[in-house]
Amino acid sequence: MKTKILVANRGEIAIRIIRAIQELNYEAVAIYESPDKDSRHIRIADEAVWIGDGPRSDYLNIDKVIDAAIHSGAVAIHPGYGFLAENPDFARACEEAGLIFIGPPSDVIEKLGNKVMAREIMAAAGIPMVPGTDNLKPGDEGLAEAIAFGRKYGYPIMLKATSGGGGRGIRRIENESELAEQYTIARSEALAAFNDDSVYLEKVVVKPKHVEVQIIADKTGETIHLGTRDCSIQRRNQKLIEIAPAFQLSPELNEEICQTAIQAAKAANYFNAGTVEFLLDDDGSFYFMEINTRLQVEHTVTEMITGIDIVRTQIKLAMGKNLLFGQEHVQLRGHAIEMRINAEDPQNNFMPEGGKTITVYHSPGGYGVRLDGFCYQGFTIPEAYDSLLVKLTVFGWSWNETVDRLKRCLHNFVITGPKTTIPFYLNLINHPDFRKGQFDTSFLDENEQLFEYDEQTSEVNKLARLIAEIHQKKQNTYAA
Amino acid sequence: MIRITQKMAPAEVLEALRQANGYYITNTARDMSQSDYKNRILLHTDLMAAEAREEAGYFSLEITGGASIHVDILRKQVDPFLKLKLLREQMPDTMFQTLCRGVNLFGYRPYPQNVIRLTVREFAKYVDVWRTFDFMNHVPNMEAVFEEVAKAGKINEPCICFSTGPEHTDAFYVKKVQEILDVTGPEIILCIKNHGGLGTPKRIGELVDAIKQAYPELIIHYHGHNTDGNDIGRIQAAVLNGATIVDASDHSFTGFYGPPPILTVIQTLKDYGKTAIGINEEAVIRSSDVIRDQRQYYAQFEAQIKGFMPTVQIHKLPGGAMGSSLEQASKGGFLDKMPDILHKELPKVQKELGNWWSVTPGSQILWTTAVTNVLEGERYANPSGDLKNLLLGKYGPFPFYQPADWIYEKAFGPDWKTVLERDGGIEVIDDMDIDKERETLAGKLDKEPTDQQLVTYLQHPNDAVEFFKFEEKFGRSYVLPPAIFLRQGGFQLGESLVFRDHDGKEHLIEIGPSQKDEDGRTNVYLNVDHSQRTYIIEPEVQEGAACQETLSKGEIEKLAKIGDIRAPFGGNVYDISVEVGQEVKKGDQVAILEAMKMQTPVISEVTGTVAEITAEIGLAVKPGDKIMLIEPAADE
Repeated sequence: MKTKILVANRGEIAIRIIRAIQELNYEAVAIYESPDKDSRHIRIADEAVWIGDGPRSDYLNIDKVIDAAIHSGAVAIHPGYGFLAENPDFARACEEAGLIFIGPPSDVIEKLGNKVMAREIMAAAGIPMVPGTDNLKPGDEGLAEAIAFGRKYGYPIMLKATSGGGGRGIRRIENESELAEQYTIARSEALAAFNDDSVYLEKVVVKPKHVEVQIIADKTGETIHLGTRDCSIQRRNQKLIEIAPAFQLSPELNEEICQTAIQAAKAANYFNAGTVEFLLDDDGSFYFMEINTRLQVEHTVTEMITGIDIVRTQIKLAMGKNLLFGQEHVQLRGHAIEMRINAEDPQNNFMPEGGKTITVYHSPGGYGVRLDGFCYQGFTIPEAYDSLLVKLTVFGWSWNETVDRLKRCLHNFVITGPKTTIPFYLNLINHPDFRKGQFDTSFLDENEQLFEYDEQTSEVNKLARLIAEIHQKKQNTYAA
Repeated sequence: MIRITQKMAPAEVLEALRQANGYYITNTARDMSQSDYKNRILLHTDLMAAEAREEAGYFSLEITGGASIHVDILRKQVDPFLKLKLLREQMPDTMFQTLCRGVNLFGYRPYPQNVIRLTVREFAKYVDVWRTFDFMNHVPNMEAVFEEVAKAGKINEPCICFSTGPEHTDAFYVKKVQEILDVTGPEIILCIKNHGGLGTPKRIGELVDAIKQAYPELIIHYHGHNTDGNDIGRIQAAVLNGATIVDASDHSFTGFYGPPPILTVIQTLKDYGKTAIGINEEAVIRSSDVIRDQRQYYAQFEAQIKGFMPTVQIHKLPGGAMGSSLEQASKGGFLDKMPDILHKELPKVQKELGNWWSVTPGSQILWTTAVTNVLEGERYANPSGDLKNLLLGKYGPFPFYQPADWIYEKAFGPDWKTVLERDGGIEVIDDMDIDKERETLAGKLDKEPTDQQLVTYLQHPNDAVEFFKFEEKFGRSYVLPPAIFLRQGGFQLGESLVFRDHDGKEHLIEIGPSQKDEDGRTNVYLNVDHSQRTYIIEPEVQEGAACQETLSKGEIEKLAKIGDIRAPFGGNVYDISVEVGQEVKKGDQVAILEAMKMQTPVISEVTGTVAEITAEIGLAVKPGDKIMLIEPAADE
């Protein structure tokens, strides 16, 4: 019997992992909740296990997932991203059940997942940090600490939930009176959301770039990096577009950031693939943000410029192999950009378009084009999950070539039924600053015109609509 | 002997006309479109012909006015102002001419004075020659237009409408010309408007001569229709007797009810030693050649009955109304009754109602009355609102004689004399609050309208708003050739459609497959400029079927007897004459519906109180749709 690996995830990332498993000549076991019964990841897996009605609760249910793995005879579990991916209890449960968890060990996940603990480790290792506090003391004492911090470093500052992450549990404080007001609210919200009311403070780096480094470490402690990524274009702290390598960094700064990332990973005794995130100030100083102890959505751009299959590497490392290549073998070539094509209405605050059926789905192809998606014509987007439909990743030798290729692909992409982020992206890549690579995390907030587009309402599209009506109704009812 | 151009001042134009040793030609493209193609010739075709028509050297191109402005927005989906602007760009030298119905402007009933003046002012920015008429030849009905045209520095061309019969003498018309000159002064062109193509060449020759004898300096423009096939004869007689300008159009599009071919006019008069001034014959021929191929796409709008109609001398229907009348007969299923209607009833009704001129809106009143008389079996049993208004003299005084008392009695009952005394006389219409209308339109468009949009809206409020919405949704569709815009039966799979948009950019659309989904919507796949697009067409709502049962005529009448007033036919609600809570008597008018350009009152069949009004003004109703509920009084 072939070795089986269970994929504890859904959507496009489940498919990405299933492909890697199958390419390694293992068998992939998918799991699914009822709303996902038509999802493509079930169809391409070698086996699929229904784990409950969901939604979400069963994908998050450690016992059910472990149970599915054991009953299907899987020896390992790949958690993907989201759901249980960064839950140390899950990694521990796998370890205890004798299953290989494809990712770092549970204690690493645990300490890096705790923001304060992570900062302590990094500070001790000499990694540059954004000025910040430890967990604030409870009650008024904590507030006094906070006020003192604000007076020392100036505003704005970030008030963060220690157990938050992925953009959640963060609030920006502009002045002292706001701090007093938000402090109590932040604590009670953190308690409700993460079952932990600890909060801490961080200075805000104004208009930073978000730069991260893909790292890979084997069990011997051999740690290499696969270059940088720029994920500055975000909405509400959620990434939309990722670029590799980080564009317009000097080679020296790029190298310094990458070496710092390796240093950080080593300080945490990191194993398997991970991402070290930094904030980059416009003066070239950079600060450690966090280490993501999982596969990132945007890993595809790194794969495109390195030629290294990160998921395959993850599995091999987890299955006991050591790194087959060293840092000297890693070569970064060209540029890659990934856009997350979401079923969302950018003009309506990115409101998800779940529940709608995809009536037409035509995707682009050709040289330098990679698609990681899971939807198809006739597929009804479940309302219960995230709105990512497909990741469009393009590769090109030069930056301009890559952007032009991306533009061509966006033009050739046809998705009807739900509204998507495609027209918004078309606006975005035509923006002169994007072309020049001049953007930071404030890009969307400062360019409201990016949201001004008329979907399908250019003059020729209006006329084409009339022609479609004349055609379908067999006459022009507006001329009859 | 000079070519007249748009750049000349009106005085220069009139001087050139007075000096003319020969004659000038107006290309009545609009009248040809209206008479032979139900007004459907698209701007696209006119733009194709523009360059050659410009070179041809006409006195003017008659390209707007009449019913065309309404059809522009209703069926051609083109902005009547944009049309003139684009043609002007292509034709800088040729004067543009309109046909204006005086107080009725480009519509079917009188407009307020301030609306008339605003409309003329806006159109005068593009229109150089204003041919204005009144179907009763009642000069005061045209005065506001005359004044505004003069103020705008454009040329007034007042009409005497022409017809035949014992009352229609040279003396009558010569006197009518004087009435006009008394108002306008001598700096005008006089049009003899022979909209039916009536009379013989001899008769027209005599009339032109009589007017010329009386007013030797007056410039005469003869306008005729070729309904009987003899308009070339009348044109020839007019020119030989002193007319300076005549009407005709491009031969590749001439039909049976509109103008005759220009080239035939030129060839015929040349033999009499008369030169067509400014005319480039080669360009006249080329104008026809460049659009000849387009005619096939308009076949669906050509008349149901083909062939010349010399019987026009009996029924006198104007060429501009032939197409719509025949269409109405065809759709209404009474084509077989046409001989009765046209040759017996219509001439009879004409004489009974005063033998005035059968032209809009009078021709519609005559036609509707004749049709109703024949179809209902009882003459004047159900007089239209417009007929009543005519009898009350609201359009103007009867020129020859008033209709007989029995017709008044049919229309207004035994107390008709009281009604006539109380309501009779020309209708004075209060000025409209134009700023308020502008606000209303702004509300409907969600933005401030342009002056031109406002003027279009004031002509035909509902249809204008529909048009503006169309343009918003479908863009400026005048760029589509008739082969696309008027296509019937859909396109071929894989067919390539090429056109240029408003900005001159060429586009290619390829027709892909269509697919119906389970909800009845159709996905139409098109390749638009090489990128694939899908257009979802919602299923058409089955008219009446799905939402409500269609009521029979009998059922509607039965409901009316208990106060449940339903629309007796399809049309638009023109007016609601009562308010909720108001007491009405049996026989009172409670609403007015409008259909086929005619107003028909809706009468209460009960005495009682208005309980509920369901319909609103401007609403399109189908037969059986609720209008209002009247609670019958207890003693009924």
